[in-house]
Amino acid sequence: MNRESIDLLQGTLDVLILKTLAWQPMHGYAVTRWVRERTQGSIEIEDAPLYKALHRLERAGCVSAEWGLSENNRRARYYRLTATGRRRLKAEESEWRRYAAAVLRVLEPA
Amino acid sequence: MMPRLFQFWRRSRDMIRRDVDAELQFHIDTRTDALVREGASPEDARKRALMDFGDIEDARRYIRRVDNDIEHQRRRRDYVSELRQDLAYGLRTLRRAPTFTLTAILTIALGVGANTAIFSVVHGIVFKPLPFPQPQQLLRVWSANPGSGSRQAPVSPVDLDDWRDQRTQFADIGGWWFADGGSGVDLTGSGDPQRLSVAFVTPGFFPTLGVRPMIGRLPREDEMVRGGDDRVVVLSHGFWQRRFGSDSGLVSSTVTLNGQPYRVVGVMQPGMRFPSDRVEVWIPYSTIPDQSIPRIRPVRVLDVVARMKEGVTLAQASQDMSAITRRLAATYPEDTNWSEATVMPLADAVTGNVRRGLIALLGAVGFVLLMACVNVASLLLARSSIREREVALRLALGATPGRVVRQMITESLLLSLIGGAVGVAAAAFGSRALLVMAAGQLPRTSEVELDATVLLFALIVSIVTGVLFGLAPALRARGTDLQTALREAGRGLVSGSGQRLRTGLVVVEVALAVVLIVGAGLMTRSFIQLLRVDLGFRPEKLLAVNFTINTSRREGQAYRLFYREVIDRVRTVPGLVSVGAVKHVPFRGNGERMGFVPEGLTLGAGEQPPSAPLIHVSDGYFATIGARMTEGREYNEQDGALRAPTPGAVPVFSGTPSVIINLAFAERHFPGVSAVGKTLGLGSNRIPIIGVVGNIRQTTIEEPVQPTVYINNLMNSRVQVTLVARTQGEPLAMAVAVRDAIWSVDREQTITSIFTFDQLVSDAVARPRLLTVLLGLFGTLGMLLGAVGLYGVLSYLVSSRQREIGVRIALGAPRGAVLAMVVRRGLLMAVIGTTIGLLAAFSLTRYLRDVLFGVEPTDPMTYGIVVVSMLAVAGLASAVPARRAATVDPAIAFRSD
Repeated sequence: MNRESIDLLQGTLDVLILKTLAWQPMHGYAVTRWVRERTQGSIEIEDAPLYKALHRLERAGCVSAEWGLSENNRRARYYRLTATGRRRLKAEESEWRRYAAAVLRVLEPA
Repeated sequence: MMPRLFQFWRRSRDMIRRDVDAELQFHIDTRTDALVREGASPEDARKRALMDFGDIEDARRYIRRVDNDIEHQRRRRDYVSELRQDLAYGLRTLRRAPTFTLTAILTIALGVGANTAIFSVVHGIVFKPLPFPQPQQLLRVWSANPGSGSRQAPVSPVDLDDWRDQRTQFADIGGWWFADGGSGVDLTGSGDPQRLSVAFVTPGFFPTLGVRPMIGRLPREDEMVRGGDDRVVVLSHGFWQRRFGSDSGLVSSTVTLNGQPYRVVGVMQPGMRFPSDRVEVWIPYSTIPDQSIPRIRPVRVLDVVARMKEGVTLAQASQDMSAITRRLAATYPEDTNWSEATVMPLADAVTGNVRRGLIALLGAVGFVLLMACVNVASLLLARSSIREREVALRLALGATPGRVVRQMITESLLLSLIGGAVGVAAAAFGSRALLVMAAGQLPRTSEVELDATVLLFALIVSIVTGVLFGLAPALRARGTDLQTALREAGRGLVSGSGQRLRTGLVVVEVALAVVLIVGAGLMTRSFIQLLRVDLGFRPEKLLAVNFTINTSRREGQAYRLFYREVIDRVRTVPGLVSVGAVKHVPFRGNGERMGFVPEGLTLGAGEQPPSAPLIHVSDGYFATIGARMTEGREYNEQDGALRAPTPGAVPVFSGTPSVIINLAFAERHFPGVSAVGKTLGLGSNRIPIIGVVGNIRQTTIEEPVQPTVYINNLMNSRVQVTLVARTQGEPLAMAVAVRDAIWSVDREQTITSIFTFDQLVSDAVARPRLLTVLLGLFGTLGMLLGAVGLYGVLSYLVSSRQREIGVRIALGAPRGAVLAMVVRRGLLMAVIGTTIGLLAAFSLTRYLRDVLFGVEPTDPMTYGIVVVSMLAVAGLASAVPARRAATVDPAIAFRSD
């Protein structure tokens, strides 16, 4: 595990996954890769929790899954954001922004 | 081939397992490939990929569990949405066929409603546990005299005390004396004087039942015995509400009963209505003075209830009672012949004589429901023939047969639940009407209600009904052969199997109808026999006023004078033809059982004299009620002469003692000779018989009249009096004048009840009348439903074979022959059904034996009438479609659809 990567706060994983899938439907492996690239490697998602979270989100109705063909021509399970997921993402996004702003206000010199 | 939509998404546990493995494998493989591309050896790359993944086995388990959850959710959601689809679809189809829907719903409402109404009554009276803790431990106990065949006699209060002392298997034993219109006290001092209906109870009564008061307390043991502070009273909840406006301050205050102060110690729970709905107060039996009811062993007046100890069986309880009674019989000469006791579960004793009739009703009404089911099934079948094309289409579009069956069952359940709801609403009125018709002749009617159990019953009946009548058409739909259905449905032809099924249903229906009509017919014949019984009196235009003379207000024998004065005063009221009085009018009491030694009979040592009820009457009573004297005469005013022994003293009886016997007594004890002039030994006296009166039905209408002795009330006086007056006009119109005449003698005299003899007779036949009316109703319904079913099948047959009939007519078949063909077909079904029905009735109606009077359950006349009427109705039901068949236009044969 990358030493410099940020430990994910509880509940952050879900919002990251939702945001990633908001771009386009993708399979689990693609989600890790996309997050790593997007954060220039400062956030590394662990695989086991990622898959657990994907299925948990499916159960909650935030994502739907279906089998499709991957870039390397293999059967892969693609996840797609549902309307419920989109609503959830929006709610968590604004929650995050408020939280981050609050933390920043504390950290920045007045 | 279209994809089978409804199974496409179903994922089994195995599929989920494979999918999860494949998904994780894809990840590991892709990651491995990426690492290989970065230069790692394939082996190292796979190792790293696995290590980087984390605990893959844990993830696998977790994901499987989540996926199984998801699958469950989806199935549930699918099920609900399919149900919603089915319901919407069902409602749409039902709305599109309003006549069918309305007919079906009304038929089901009829079946479910009738069943719910009857069930609510039977449940409240027979099935519901008695409202006491551990009611199964409660027994009724009677004294039994094996020699005389008297098995259920009341118990002497003295014996009861011994029973209670010597019991080993019973937690407690209690007794009560309650006689409707007989046991009472006068309430005075607050408002109008009122005669209260009282249950006089012994110390064990309340503990045995295990009842608790709502407010206040129960009398203590020492407040319920002679010599104790026993002037205490417990009020019934209803009486407390009516008379005292639910005033809780009443407890521990004092009321005046029979001129004496009584302390109110408690008010009972509303549910406590034992031994009768009509009990207004409970008072210790110890307050009854010896001059009213002597407290000696031979006086048996108490009804007894006992509670078995935990775990004691009925047999053990019975043995315990027998041991005690044998001991008492050996110890006390008065008890010599009363060496046994009869025990019976209290629940059986309370409902005993109505149970059979009610269960017969429940059975009959169940048949009505079955017929309703059959009719609706037949309707649905007719429709399903029409809907075959629709079903075929759905099958062709990929619905599974199971799915189609489910949709059809949903539709049936929809129908049956709507019908059931309508039925329950009707049942609410129906069960009230039943109780009104029963005219107070059923026990526990206050416990009849549409409670949760009854509603559950209605729900279950509706669901079972829906499944039952929905099953046949649904299963047929399942078997629909796609190609033939699509082909035939287009041409409006009926498939043979559907027609056969419907014919079978009609045969069943006719059989059920026959059973119902036989039951109704037997009951009607029995009721007619009952009404034909010679009562021994003419009940029309007879008014009765019941009251009890207050002895505490009249010292010594002054109450005899009061009795005399009241009769004389009422005789002066204009509009009355004649007036008399009696202690027990017919059907409201059986007199007092006494031993009599007829002249010429000598008793052996230790032999008991023959016993007969003794009934106290006034002069002119027999003439008033229209009874005939077959020999001798009835009492006149001289027989009951009262004279004061010294001037100014209370007058006493100074006539000649004499008795009157009934015809049954004369025939039993003085066969072939004149009874008048003979004597009866009563105690140590020999009393001459002055007359023989025709038999008067006293106990019930059904039971033969027992040998009975009548005695002049002025000679052997009783304070309980029913004044009887034959009126010129409407008897109840004279009630006020008679009451005022009584009050002109004493304004403080309470009146217990006023009624007519017509009411007496009507009440006496209320139970059989209820059964007759209901079974008659069910029989009529059955016949109607059967006729409608037959008519339905035949008209369907005719309309579906119009073309064929047209061809026949065109080919020269006489219209009469066509008519006969259809009628023959209908009658054939009716004959088969009737035969089956007769066989069934023959084996079922013996359950009616107990409630039938003067007619055998196999009465050939009834069966004959039933067969004739059933076939007549069947012929009529066939004639209408037959006429339609005969008038088919032959041109139809050449027309196309």
